[in-house]
Amino acid sequence: MTNRRAWIQGMATGVGAVLGTGIFPALGQGTGEGVIQSVGGPRRVIFFLQNHGFDPLTCLPKGLEESCDLDGVALEKPMQALEPYKSRMHIITGLHGRHTNPGHSAYFGALGAYRGGTGVPPSAATIDYVLGQALPPTILPPLGIGMESLDSMRARPTLATLSASGPNQPVPMYCDPNLLYGALFGSIAEGAIQQQFRARSQALLEVERMAQWKAKGLPQSEAERYGTYVRGFGELNGLNEKLSRISERLKRFAPKLDERYLRPAFETDWHDALLEIGIAALQANLTNVLTIASGCGEYFGSWKGLGISETGHGLGHLEQPDNEIWTKIRQYNCAMLVKLIKALEATPEGAGSMMDHSLIVYSSNNAEKQHSEGAAWPFVLIGNAGGRFKTGRYSHVAERPINDLYTTLLHGVGAPVDRFNMDKNLAAIHQSRLGPIEGLLT
Amino acid sequence: MGKALVAAATLFPLSLVRGAEGLGSAVKPFLENYCLDCHSDEARKGAVSLEGLSEVTADNAGLWKRIWEQVALKEMPPRKKANQPALLERWKLSNWITEGLESAMRDRGGFREHLRPSKGNHLDHGLLFGLPVAGMEPAATPARLWRIHPQEQLVRLNDLICLKRAYDAKRPGLWTHGDQVPSNLEGETKVYFGLDQYLGSFEDAYSVAVSGFSSPLAMVRDRGLRNYPYLYSVNSAEATQIAAIAEKVLRYMACGPAAEPYQFADDIKTIPGPYRNANLIFYQKEMKRPVTPLLTLMNEPGVSDERLAAVVGFLFEALTLRPPSTEEAALYLGIAKKSIEELGKAEGVYLGLVPIFLDRDALFRSELGSGGKPDGQGRVMLQGDELALAINAAFSYIRPESDHVRRALAEGHLETRQDVRREVDRILNDDSIRKPRVLQFFREYFDYDRAPGICKDRKFLEEEGGHYDTYYAAMNSMVANTDCLIELILREDKNVLQELLTTNRVVYQPYTSGANFRDGILFLTDIAYYMARGKPWAPLRSEAEITTPPTDENRLFIERQKRVIEQENLLHHIFPNPAEPIYVRQSPFDKGRFPPAMGALKAITTVDPAERLGILTHPVWLVAHSDAMDNHAVLRGRWIRERLLGDAVPDIPITVDAKLPVEAESTLRHRMRVLHGHECWRCHQKMDPLGLPFEMYNQLGMVRDRDHGQAVDASGEIALSGEAGLDGPVSDPMEMIRKLGASERVAQVFVRHVFRFWMGRNETIHDAVILQEAYQAYRDHHGSMRALLGSLLSSDAFLYRKVEP
Repeated sequence: MTNRRAWIQGMATGVGAVLGTGIFPALGQGTGEGVIQSVGGPRRVIFFLQNHGFDPLTCLPKGLEESCDLDGVALEKPMQALEPYKSRMHIITGLHGRHTNPGHSAYFGALGAYRGGTGVPPSAATIDYVLGQALPPTILPPLGIGMESLDSMRARPTLATLSASGPNQPVPMYCDPNLLYGALFGSIAEGAIQQQFRARSQALLEVERMAQWKAKGLPQSEAERYGTYVRGFGELNGLNEKLSRISERLKRFAPKLDERYLRPAFETDWHDALLEIGIAALQANLTNVLTIASGCGEYFGSWKGLGISETGHGLGHLEQPDNEIWTKIRQYNCAMLVKLIKALEATPEGAGSMMDHSLIVYSSNNAEKQHSEGAAWPFVLIGNAGGRFKTGRYSHVAERPINDLYTTLLHGVGAPVDRFNMDKNLAAIHQSRLGPIEGLLT
Repeated sequence: MGKALVAAATLFPLSLVRGAEGLGSAVKPFLENYCLDCHSDEARKGAVSLEGLSEVTADNAGLWKRIWEQVALKEMPPRKKANQPALLERWKLSNWITEGLESAMRDRGGFREHLRPSKGNHLDHGLLFGLPVAGMEPAATPARLWRIHPQEQLVRLNDLICLKRAYDAKRPGLWTHGDQVPSNLEGETKVYFGLDQYLGSFEDAYSVAVSGFSSPLAMVRDRGLRNYPYLYSVNSAEATQIAAIAEKVLRYMACGPAAEPYQFADDIKTIPGPYRNANLIFYQKEMKRPVTPLLTLMNEPGVSDERLAAVVGFLFEALTLRPPSTEEAALYLGIAKKSIEELGKAEGVYLGLVPIFLDRDALFRSELGSGGKPDGQGRVMLQGDELALAINAAFSYIRPESDHVRRALAEGHLETRQDVRREVDRILNDDSIRKPRVLQFFREYFDYDRAPGICKDRKFLEEEGGHYDTYYAAMNSMVANTDCLIELILREDKNVLQELLTTNRVVYQPYTSGANFRDGILFLTDIAYYMARGKPWAPLRSEAEITTPPTDENRLFIERQKRVIEQENLLHHIFPNPAEPIYVRQSPFDKGRFPPAMGALKAITTVDPAERLGILTHPVWLVAHSDAMDNHAVLRGRWIRERLLGDAVPDIPITVDAKLPVEAESTLRHRMRVLHGHECWRCHQKMDPLGLPFEMYNQLGMVRDRDHGQAVDASGEIALSGEAGLDGPVSDPMEMIRKLGASERVAQVFVRHVFRFWMGRNETIHDAVILQEAYQAYRDHHGSMRALLGSLLSSDAFLYRKVEP
């Protein structure tokens, strides 16, 4: 009964836009109106976490033993797509996340740098969320996208595994590009679809009023808990209004809605679509932090579109270096990074491009491997975020926790803290030191 | 113990005064009497000094939290010290600390740890089952909203799109109306569109083309009880997804399967060749789905207010289990009409009805004490809809067809404690009223349903005899089998806990092969086990019995005969004891099994009680308490310590790097030697000796004789149990389980857990009398779960809500 064309049109206001828009823990303070102003300094950070670990031998060019410049060094085969960007990269090894309980995945512990693991709720805000608060405001900090098998993305169109806005406050990521498209770009549809969007927005306002009405007379503790529900509608309605005000910008950057959304041949069609929407969200200045979770921060995943028949948890049991499957996955990651970099380079911002004010953080949600104890956790930074980060370097940081890198990121964006999510009494045990890691900032 | 309590009560005021000047006269004496000898600035035992410690603040919260756990769990003062505080003294200090932590952490994410189910045992068992303490307030539960369980949501939505299957007393295991939605063999719990009308598919199309949804409502993944109201709300992410699902459900209710005309047929053989591909499923032409007012509305021209109001009323009641008030009905009718005005009937109806799915009462159940007058203690007895829904929700996710509770309410016969007891007993004694909440309790109490979520390392799994590709399906299947066994024991309702702990009955899937490794973990391996030991077992039928000469035409006929023999061998000859068929509830959708089955015929038999005895020796429980590469003696011991002995261990200090040595050639028991003899042992002595007897099974739950080349050592010890006569060494898990199964304390602890699950909170000292009466009902009725629930669900804790003045 469903006509494919109507389906695609409907999607513009459908699914995620069913009653308003999307899924955001707390909306940004920015109005998002007007042209992006001429600015310097850092404006955005993009995290890209591949699941099943990131083996240091994959990111570390052969022959390198100690910290050095990357000039003249050849990247490993899985990372070769980044060769043209070497001068803007910083490869970092030596960090650890033993206290994050990685195992299969550190989950919230990967970006929170605290004890995570299966079923462990977040104990504090994660670095992506904290950076979102520190960077120049946008409508939606932060935005998360998660990539998995088609079945999984359909069954769990949103999922909260990596990001958190505070203790016990997970932030869901989007796994279904239809849902995300509707959430971000549903408001720019035209004609009958726009009429539908308006009707949906109106219905959502009614729901919010009803929810408020039913909050009356609740005991204090229950009012707080129920308040989460009521505020959720307020957020959705507020977002609707803000998105309506920037329709011209949304139109400029909205990705083309095509067959991949409705009839994906492989899961990678949806991975690509999600990435494109994520890039568009950055270009339209909707968000200042994008968290990309390849494998959704868990320990499954599927890349049949790359010709990889092995799926799920078994992938994590493969040794990554010189493994054909892992080379393909990593190359796919890097191709995505290149696409992101090029898009940001092509979008003017201030006196230069968006890339000039961006930092990309590539790593894993699970240290160096599956069943990891978190002893080694490599990172690749790309971009200098307005000249704040050193690039073109390989640095080996001897035995410091990933908390210290996150502390460094906060210093880099101009929001310095002594330590990130590290109790001062435990700092010595985890070899954490005060302030940013030496040699990473300019 | 009782005398000591009363004595303590007379010496000590019932709460400690919180002074602005510091610890004040209430707490200081405790620290001076019991703590400062070792934890002064000078002594600093364990590098901890409590000298000069101030009132609870955000800065010293970590230390106070440790003190709370050490004092509440009687870890401090050390057991060897003669000078020990009375239980009541410990309780008062614990309360003082947790109150202080709640206040100090209010702006730092809050402190609710003491409310968590896993902290329920921090209230000492002796305080609840000793003599009642004088001066206690009568019990009540705080007024609250209880977000519905994800299963509750799925069951209600499934009712809107699927035809109801009536209860069949001859096949009680089948999935029938009101049961929980079962998960499939992949572990996914979903509601599917179009099941009733499903005609067929080609290849495995169903697996890629079937459309359904899971519940977007989150649940914590902690071990143990998980459904306390304070843990949950509904966030905007969940609300958005609910709205999306609602629209799909409404469209399906009106239009049926979202499919092209060529996907409807009377006979799958008539499907033209081009459509016979793996991406399509086919439906019967005849409509098969619930006939609802929405269907009626959409099948006739125009929209009348009367019809639309009927749809609103129907949906509201289906989703909230009560009729809408006049105000609610008018509001939702208004939204729907406005939507239809904007978008026309076809689209406007669906959009306009979605808000009902997001009504507060569709997602939360109120227990606010609405309409009642507080008594002298600020308590209000539930009444009206709140009471009727609370009784219903104690058992069901939907309202049963024969809704006597609502009738009693309408007739004014649901006002007193006796009225409630009458209704509770009636529901308990009617098997046709499905009670998924009762099964959910046992899942959370035993945690066996966590088994499929325990990831196993492929290498280790296959070394132990497992088959990686079917391992998770085996685990999901076995969870359903254990559900079935539990429901059987509940129907018998005799010595329920003891029977669950010591039964030698098992439910298993007979129609499988070793290579598939479905339930083979337990049963096919046990064949080999029986054979290897020369135990008596019935001879297998042989394929040689088939005498028909094979030809091209009769190939299928012979295959079928072989299968019959294979199935009979598996069903009747695995064990020396006879097997009987039994129905086990499973998902309507399972890859490779079409048309969708609404139940599966499995088998029940008895096994050698020297090798398998009750749920704790079933592979699902053992695997649920294992890790990727090995058994997990600590988790198993901890389960027994907490769920059977009513004790707990403090949270592991964050400074502890808890790791066993990696010694590939050593047994787990040997590797755990490092926990002996120093600070670790203070906690591990409570767990390890209870968990190590299960070393007679490997990490997949298979019985084994040898472990790393050595004869298996399955010995252990019950220690610090709190019950005279229970402590002592045990030679294997069977001996330990038998002793525990016969223990009065263990039964009382079970009652505590039942209380927690149904009241949705940890018990307090004010609940002592209720718990004692519930235990007495359980004991006096020979271990009857029905008697236990009847007592608890007519108690003050269930009926009364404490309201704010």
